[in-house]
This record gives sequence, C-alpha cells and structure tokens, in this order.
Amino acid sequence: MRMKRREFLTAGAGAAAWWALPAWAGAASAGARPRQGAGDRGYRTSWYPFTGHPDADTCWSVSVGPDGRIYAAACAESVPGGVVKVVRYNEQKDGLDYLFSLDEMVDDPGDSGRATQCKIHYSFAPSMADGVLYMATHLSGPPIDQPAYSPWLSWHDAKRCFRGSALLAFDTRTDKVLWWDTLMPKEGCRCLLHDEERHRLYALSYPRDHFIIYDTRTRTRRDVGRIGSINAQTLFLDRRHRVWTTDDYGHLVRYDPETDRLERSPFVLPHNPLFQTGWHSVFYDVAAAPDGECVYAVTWIAQPRLMRMWPSRGDWPKVEDLGPATQDRDPTLPKDTFIDHCGGLVFAGDGQLYYVASRWRDPVYNPMPADGPEREGVVWRLNPANLKREEVAILKHPTQPAQYVSRGAVDHNGNLFFGNVGTRPVGVFKVHLPASRRRRNAHLPIRMWG
Amino acid sequence: MSNKQKTKYDMNSPEAKALTDEIVHGTFMKEGTMAAFPTCFPGASIPIPADESHITALDISGDGMVYGGTSGRAVHLFVGMFHGVTGIVFDLGMPAGANHCAAVCCAGSRVVSCVNGPGGGRVVATGHQGLPFDLIQEWGFGRPAIDDWGKVDGERIVHAVADSTRAMVVGITTRSLFVADPGKGKAEVIGEVPGQGRIAPGSKGGIFGKDEGDWLWRYDSAARKLARQALKLPTGAWDSAPLCWARDTRTGLLYTADGGGNLFSLDEERGFSAPLGKTLPAPVGPMAVTYDGRVFGFCGPEMAKMFCYNPAARTVTNLGVAVSVLERRRYGYVFGDAVVGRDGQIFFGEDDDLGHLWLYFPKILPR
Repeated sequence: MRMKRREFLTAGAGAAAWWALPAWAGAASAGARPRQGAGDRGYRTSWYPFTGHPDADTCWSVSVGPDGRIYAAACAESVPGGVVKVVRYNEQKDGLDYLFSLDEMVDDPGDSGRATQCKIHYSFAPSMADGVLYMATHLSGPPIDQPAYSPWLSWHDAKRCFRGSALLAFDTRTDKVLWWDTLMPKEGCRCLLHDEERHRLYALSYPRDHFIIYDTRTRTRRDVGRIGSINAQTLFLDRRHRVWTTDDYGHLVRYDPETDRLERSPFVLPHNPLFQTGWHSVFYDVAAAPDGECVYAVTWIAQPRLMRMWPSRGDWPKVEDLGPATQDRDPTLPKDTFIDHCGGLVFAGDGQLYYVASRWRDPVYNPMPADGPEREGVVWRLNPANLKREEVAILKHPTQPAQYVSRGAVDHNGNLFFGNVGTRPVGVFKVHLPASRRRRNAHLPIRMWG
Repeated sequence: MSNKQKTKYDMNSPEAKALTDEIVHGTFMKEGTMAAFPTCFPGASIPIPADESHITALDISGDGMVYGGTSGRAVHLFVGMFHGVTGIVFDLGMPAGANHCAAVCCAGSRVVSCVNGPGGGRVVATGHQGLPFDLIQEWGFGRPAIDDWGKVDGERIVHAVADSTRAMVVGITTRSLFVADPGKGKAEVIGEVPGQGRIAPGSKGGIFGKDEGDWLWRYDSAARKLARQALKLPTGAWDSAPLCWARDTRTGLLYTADGGGNLFSLDEERGFSAPLGKTLPAPVGPMAVTYDGRVFGFCGPEMAKMFCYNPAARTVTNLGVAVSVLERRRYGYVFGDAVVGRDGQIFFGEDDDLGHLWLYFPKILPR
C-alpha cells in the first residue's frame, strides 16, 4: 500500500490511543538485530516515544546541546491547534524530560485561531560560550478550527496567518528561556545555524525561501534575499565564516560575509542522471568531519545522494560523489521521499560517519521477505578513510517501520540519537555504540547547525 | 490573544478532505496557466545573476519581442522571444553604474530605457533585435551597444512610456516631465510635475500621471502641452500606493486602482468609470489587458495574488498565488511590470531574486 507521509499522519491522528499502553512508556529496548552480514555486533537500540505529548506526530529536530545532552522537538503538525514541546534525554532515568510547551513561552497559544507554533524543523543551534541552545519554530500546523493550513493562502489574513517563527534562547544551565523574538514574521524557519564568533544566526524562511541573518547582540534581523522555491533543509558553516546551502537546481549557494552576497556555484551536485536533472537536489543533511576540513552531505530527493566536499579548497569546492544512499528502483515511478530517504548524518567518537537510510520491499530491486517489515530504517557506518559502508543496526519501532529519520546527534557519552518521523507514536531512537567506539565528549567539536 | 471559544476541528468530519484540498490546492492559479521562463537561453547560457534580476520594466515591440530591464545590484536590459523557433531571454547588456530600471519603451527604431543609479536617472537606448535563425538548430548572438543619452535633470526617473504613436518617450523624474526623442537621442524637460507612480497613454493621445491631491496631469504629446490638474480622480485612497495602470491596446481604455484595491477605468473622452470592483488584497501592482478586454494583474505585498477583472461580467476574481509547473517549477511572489503579448498572453516581470519572465495564458472562456 502506498501511503504519503501527510496521509500517514492524518490517519494517525484518529488512531488508537497508543499513549495509554504502559509498556511503551520510557525506554523500550528494541534490541536491534543487525541483518546478516552486518559488520560490528553490539549496536543496541532503544526507543523513546513522546508519551508526554500525545499530539506529537513528527520529530524534526534532534541535536546535542552545549551541555552535551540531547534535545529533541516533539512536533504536532497534523493536529489542529497542535504545538511543539521541547524534550531532553535524561540519562539518569533513561527517559525523556519535557522541558516546555513552546507556545506558552512565546505567548502564541495553540488555540489562537492562527497557524500554530507546531514544530522546530532542523533549527536547534548551540552557543558554547554561554550554554544557550537557540531554537526557532517552523509552520504547517493548522489553526485549531481548520483541518489544514496554507501559508500562501493565509499570508494576508491577519486572523489565520502564522505569527512568525519564534526564536528562543534557552539556557541549558538553568533550564530557563532567557528571551525570545520573532525571527521572521509570517514565515517558518526551515533550518538554523549559529556563527558564534560573529554573533549571528542564519536561517532559511519558508515558504518564500529567503536567507535571513539575525544578530544575537542587537537582536535584529536582515533579509538578504530569496534563493528559490524549495528550501534546502540545512545550512553549514566553513572556517571563513561563509554559510553554505543549495538552490532548487542542485547548485551550491554560499553567503560570504565579506561580500554580503549570496553566490551560486555553476556546478550541479551529484544526482542520478537516469531520472534526475539536479532539480530538487537540495541538501537534506550535512555533517562536518571532526577535522573540520570537509563535510558530508545528503540530498533531499528520492534516491538521496551522498557526497563530501571541501568548502575551503578552490573557488568552488571539490565535490566527491559517494553514490546513492538508498536502493535502486523503477525509474518510471517518482518515488515518495518519505519512503526513499536518508538523514541523521552524525560523526561519532570513533571518527566514523553514521546515518540512517531507508530500505523497502520491492519485487524487482529488493525482494525483502514477505513475513518481514515492508520498510525499515537502516543505520549505516561509513569509514571516511576508505569510504567503506557497513550496516550496523536497524531502528525498531514497536508498531511500524521507522525508515524516516530526520536528524541524528551524538551525546557527551558517545551514543547516537535519531529523530523519527512516521505514524504516531513518534519519538527518538538511541543507538548504543559498542564501548570500544564510544568516547567522552564525542559531541565536540559541536555541530553549529540544526 | 487566545480565543477560548474556538473548538478543535474534527478531522473525521465528512468535509475535512475537501476543505483540506481547497486550502492546499485552491491557493494557486485557479485559472489559466503560468510558465516561468528564466532570464537565459536554457541549455545554452546562464541566467542573469540572482541579485541583479528583479524585473521592474517591460514593453513589447510591434514584432512581438518583449523588452525588459532588471534592478538590483546592477541593471540588465534584455529581450525575450517566444514565437517561431525561439524561446530565449537574451541579456542585452548592463548600462554602466545603474541599479534600477524604471522603464523600457519601444519607440521608433530604438528601445529606450530609463535607469537609475547613485548619480540619478539616465536614458539609454539600444536597437531592436531581429529574430534569430533557429534556436533548436543553430544560432549566433552579439551583444549590442548601449547608447547613453545622459541624465534628465539629475533626479531619479520614476517611470516612462512610449506615447500612443510610439514615436516618442514620455517620462517623469521625481520633479519633472520629460520627453526623449529617439531621433535626437537625448531627453528634454517639458515641465514640472510631482513625479510619483506610473504614467500611461490614454485613448486620445494624452498621457496621464498623478498630480498633487486627487488630480491627474495630462500631457498632449503631439502639441507638447502639459496641463496640470487636468482630471480629477474618483473618490478613493489615492495617496496610499503608487499609481498603476493597464491599457487596453485595442481601445486605449485605461485601468487603474486606488490604494484600497478599487478598480476604475478611464476613457479619455468620457472620464472615469464608477468603481468596477475591488481586489483582495491591496494595493494593486502590475496589470495588463488581454485582447478580449479582461484585465489580469497582481495585488498585495510580499506574496501577491493574481486577479482578473472581466468587463463582460463586471467581476473581480482572485486567481491565487502564481506558480509555474512548465519550464521552471517556481512560485511567483512579487511582480514588477506586465505587458500583453503578441497573442494575448500576458508577460509578467518577476521583481524578485532570480526573477523570471512569467508567461500567463488566460483561460479560454466558453462561448
């Protein structure tokens, strides 16, 4: 059965009251059993559903905070009036702490009649000097008395229009929201980055795809201009304080503070030439290698492409095509990017890149056993030295496939966490690395973007 | 403030699916078809740089070529060709020192453009482009010279149009009315006007622009006479948005709107009509009249909605946000100018980063 993510979510909204099942509360060890042929053994996984926020239907953000702990967004975007709650993994109790409901922090309640503060979408960004975790909200959740929301339709409707992306400065030392501001009126924040040395936050707006700069000292914003129609899903920073992303056609785009200008690469990022042109090959996720010299990226299109690049080398960086992240398929079928997906790129303390790529049953290209899952989320480990990839675990959700992972993060103990998007209950997976691969403060140098 | 009276929508209600579809899909292009064309020869050249490609001026020549100008970090003049074996926007070049294009006018044998920069407004001109051989097989383009006709009065140029004979260019700076004769290659100040909003040629050879108060001035191009406070504007909000115009090229009938989105027509002999209808949102931006008399335009800031005024039905219809799924997949949010094309299609210039030339093919109305 083909099922789109939004249909999936909608169906989930009226589903059984899963949160009433006590067995699922807290950490539910899913005991991942790597498929035959997997490399290392001992990658155990645990599952933490968002039991404290029954409306939650997606988890778009998982990041490590400046304190080395894991923060996640329990988003509620398919529920009329739904709001996001910020959670943190509590290693003492091996469960999730619910820190706050974001609408209450920014005086924009879910029953306002406007589109709601429903999610945080790749928009956690740490500040190491003061222990602050910045976060910015995104839109899509309908007003409480509507079944859906369109920012295009309601742009000029003061009663319905999203108030704007709320930017919060959360002090991880005191667990207090220090201040908040509207990062971008009427629009949501697709992704956020912090250049701590320059005291600047960078963001992409949705739906207009504008590049926004926010000065954390003066708390003022500036709109640099529009990039295109499809948001890239991430921004990254290089050593020269340039901010990188992509445009609709798979070109690198960078903002250079020296020129105060958005520049576009003439080259198209790797894609499958059989059925793609580079269109929609926007970045989905980017992780910097621990040495800071290169980054690894994956695109947001069916059969997402892995690549690495060295942003400081050359006028435009050398981009190395690491090939598709997911399986082959029928090229006459525009595959659903909810099913065909790769995300959660994160470097662990062992210096290896981990990510989660989907796998699904296909009668021709991947005839998985009929008695097994229809889809699954596979945790891969990629060795940067030889580019060898090994499957190390499968994310086990109690009731459904977990092929879609939004983001991954490594905590100060060296374990990995992945955000799950699917049917409720959604939540966070923890992948316990083998002891030999864990390292204290594995989250450093910290990722500065969501 | 929270409204506690609101009840949560029942997602299982029978109308939920239809309402969701209406909210999601009923937002865009409810009628007709848009195609966003990049400012290049796709596959053979690159577009104008994104931050130099805000299209703010358009005009069409007698042979159906669309000429335009961009604004941003620099001005580019261009020509678009879409009939025959063409399909190109060709960058004609960059007038030195300019960052804003106020107008492009096809007049006589020249394409006259009014551009602004740190030193004020200047008038520049190029020749017309001929049809290329065949843009599927072989082609060759050369970049023409841009002649600089100099400053007008040192002020910024606000707008300009070709007069109804297309022999002269008439324009305004922030304080003057001027003419530019393609035969002479220079601009000449005619008189003083409060240069604000756009100007337009009427049905009887007069050119109209916003005067002080609720008045229009009128310039008789043939007689070279400027009449201040020549025509009173109808009751409306005329100071809250720059004046905009659309002209029915068959009849000379003009359309304009006040700041509240109230549409009016202006016949030079009969004067203004009563309000024809109201756009939502407001103000009205660029608009053009196709050959059956329907007016298509955009209204509202930041994320404009397209509207149609149908004089036969006397209705104003909201056609939604522009989106292109042909040639380029793109949303269109801000538009700077509009002109009707050779076959009645409307060209809209996108006044945004990475601006495209948008071709709108109106719905064919049933008999």
